[in-house]
Amino acid sequence: MVLAQILLNGILLGGLYGLMALGMALVWGVLNIVNLSHGALIMLGGYTVYYLFTLAGIDPFVALPIAMVVMFAAGFALQWGLLNLVVRSKMLNTLLITFGLDVVLTFAAQLVFTADFRTINPSYAGANFPVLGLTVPVVRLAAFCVAVALAAGVWFLLNRMPLGRAIRATAQNLTAARLYGVNPRKLYAITFGIGAALAGAAGGLYGMISNLTPYMGASLTAKSFVIAIIGGLANPFNVILGGIFVGIAESLTALYIGPTYTDVISFGLLVVVLVVRPKRAVRAA
Amino acid sequence: MTAAPQTTPRTVIETRGLTKRFQGLVSVNNVSFQIAEGETLGVIGPNGAGKTTLVNMISGTLTPSEGQVVFEGQVINDVPAFRRAHLGIARTFQVMKPFHGMTVLENVAVGALFGRGAERSMAAAKEKAREWLEFTGLGRRIDANAEALGGPDRKRLEFAKALSMQPRLLLLDEVMAGLNPVEVDEVVDLIKKIRSQGMALLVIEHVVKAIRSLSDRVMVLHHGEKIADGDPTRVLEDPRVIEAYLGKRRT
Amino acid sequence: MKRLILPLAVLVALALAFLPMVGSDTMVQFGINALLLATLAQSWNILGGFGGYVSFGNSVFYGLGTYGTAIAMTNYNLPFGVGLVIGVILAMIGAALVGLPILRLRGPYFAIATLGLNGAMMAIFSNLPIAGSNIGLVLPLARNDAMFYELALGLLVVCTLTVLWISRSRYGMGLIAIREDEDAAGVMGVNATLWKVSALVLASIFTAVAGGIHAYWSTFVDPASAFDSTLNVRMVIMCVFGGPGTVFGPVIGSFVLSAVYEVLAAQISTAAALLFGFVIVLAVVFMPRGLADVVKGGRAISWRYFIRNIRENRL
Repeated sequence: MVLAQILLNGILLGGLYGLMALGMALVWGVLNIVNLSHGALIMLGGYTVYYLFTLAGIDPFVALPIAMVVMFAAGFALQWGLLNLVVRSKMLNTLLITFGLDVVLTFAAQLVFTADFRTINPSYAGANFPVLGLTVPVVRLAAFCVAVALAAGVWFLLNRMPLGRAIRATAQNLTAARLYGVNPRKLYAITFGIGAALAGAAGGLYGMISNLTPYMGASLTAKSFVIAIIGGLANPFNVILGGIFVGIAESLTALYIGPTYTDVISFGLLVVVLVVRPKRAVRAA
Repeated sequence: MTAAPQTTPRTVIETRGLTKRFQGLVSVNNVSFQIAEGETLGVIGPNGAGKTTLVNMISGTLTPSEGQVVFEGQVINDVPAFRRAHLGIARTFQVMKPFHGMTVLENVAVGALFGRGAERSMAAAKEKAREWLEFTGLGRRIDANAEALGGPDRKRLEFAKALSMQPRLLLLDEVMAGLNPVEVDEVVDLIKKIRSQGMALLVIEHVVKAIRSLSDRVMVLHHGEKIADGDPTRVLEDPRVIEAYLGKRRT
Repeated sequence: MKRLILPLAVLVALALAFLPMVGSDTMVQFGINALLLATLAQSWNILGGFGGYVSFGNSVFYGLGTYGTAIAMTNYNLPFGVGLVIGVILAMIGAALVGLPILRLRGPYFAIATLGLNGAMMAIFSNLPIAGSNIGLVLPLARNDAMFYELALGLLVVCTLTVLWISRSRYGMGLIAIREDEDAAGVMGVNATLWKVSALVLASIFTAVAGGIHAYWSTFVDPASAFDSTLNVRMVIMCVFGGPGTVFGPVIGSFVLSAVYEVLAAQISTAAALLFGFVIVLAVVFMPRGLADVVKGGRAISWRYFIRNIRENRL
């Protein structure tokens, strides 16, 4: 029974992990930028929801779409004004610039939000209901559902809408996209904005389940990266599945080996996944 | 190793039933050929016929799905690319890949430092590199940055890099693509000069005239399969070859 | 210009050696930190700058050097020199063990794999009784800042000489070839795995010695200070700012940034970290090949240089 409960927790948390990775996978797949500041964007989204809730009294799940709009704007501006300047540079340089961005966002957040732990704590935060002898926490279930719904939204956007087709065309071939009359600069900015919005949503949900600190970004970036590799860059639902896999692995580690070693295990898992990574995850150069 | 037919000692490279599949797509299918010392084999075929894949399997960039690559009597399927270079296999790339951030001289010195009979000292390697740059007609651009070179000079650099490795087998992958007729003639002369060094040569080329004047033998690939192999004039006049290759040539 | 650099560097090193005799205590202490950081940046330069492999995990070798020295000196009463050797050996073993699997990865895969390294090591050492678990170790006191300063300077000189050798040797040519095009390098006969792993091991040696010196100097070691992940940030930024893949760029970059950091940290420490982030962002945009490339050949610095860099890389 304990095992079943642990698995359930892992799956629910994993859905949220998948949502975290979704934005990174999208940006990576289309722009060929591995965004090391992705975790910091998740953090910013979390704080946005936190302040909308505590200062304006807006219910966190209502604040979520507002935070997504805010983060979309921030992401759009970042890509338009800064990252578009270096996007054709070597991968080393795009890695470094997003790393620098991560440092800037982290310490700016520390200045503005202070280093205190924050939790988004609505009245229903502790609510749960029993199913088949298992306890289902309401907020985690809701977070899982939001994650799956957003993945479905991304799938619909990429496969059924003209904007999505343009994005996929750009991912395939920049020159061809230009011939279609697509403005790649704008499209890149929109794509990065969508990635940031997804990160923002993930951050808001994460703040309801766990703590927000300015430093939470780095480990979430690494986690998102692993999940993006497991799930591949092509299909949003696979990314969610990748997240669920990592969520289950983490819960099992905490149960059987002990929570102090989760860092060691997740590093080991990271290396194993990277070394034996499925070939389809590799973007055609 | 299976009881393979005895090869003459002069054979430098031999492939036996070489096959490469990419996710079910057959790029090279059951191709066997050999090249002897001092011999030049021209390889032609339409785009996508598997020529570059063939070269990649010989140089070690790709592992064959089936079949064997035999170099000087030794099966080298499992030998990594860098060790094949030590054995004496060198190649050029269809898309020229000079090392940026290095001068022309240093680019060539890498070959002298790491190829067959590698030089240990920089001075000796640079001296050798200088000789090969003179040989390929690039002596005047020794100190230029590699990325500053224009098209034909880039090809010369690619030749010099490969030659400085002192290969026993040299694989040339479409070195004449994008050159004008005068430059093609220059490169043909250069290859003839290389031939006189006695190594085995495999030349992939689209320019039929050049292939005819260079090759001792011509092999034709079509959809990954070998459809002809033999005397250049006879092969190039074979109706099947004309249909498969010349008929579909881009105009 | 090019011919002047070497004699100039020798002169600067000699002048620096006399600093403890004339400078104040604070200056010497600042000097020790700056020299150790420059060593970290310079050793990161070996694999990162010449080999093109961006590692965010080299601080692990600093931690291993720190703990190797500390454990030897406190638990076994061994002299400092022996402690350093033990720290170096630990770091070299660590580098080889970590390098063999993760150096098979390329580009972002490698960089991200190294991100988790520091946290994993910190967790392990927090659970090791011999390393004082999460409380740490206290080393014997040695009040001799001048000695630590000269040691740090000597280390930086040896490290820089090593990089100078790399830049002119067969070994370095192999690394640069790997950086520019690993497949082409392999086809030309470069044993990429051996070259990359040995570069990481080489880097780990200097990084570990720097850690050992710092441990003895500060007389206290705990997991948080030994496996300080901001150290990674600093060594990467200092090297990239100065000029990765050059001999003196990382040293100049470190000195400049250490001075700026010192001035800022006196005001507010968060602002200093923030500035570091901005520096790396601006450096990538305006001088993607580092400070060394900006001043190369002594040419006049003009706006055109920066604009050209942006033109080359923007969409």
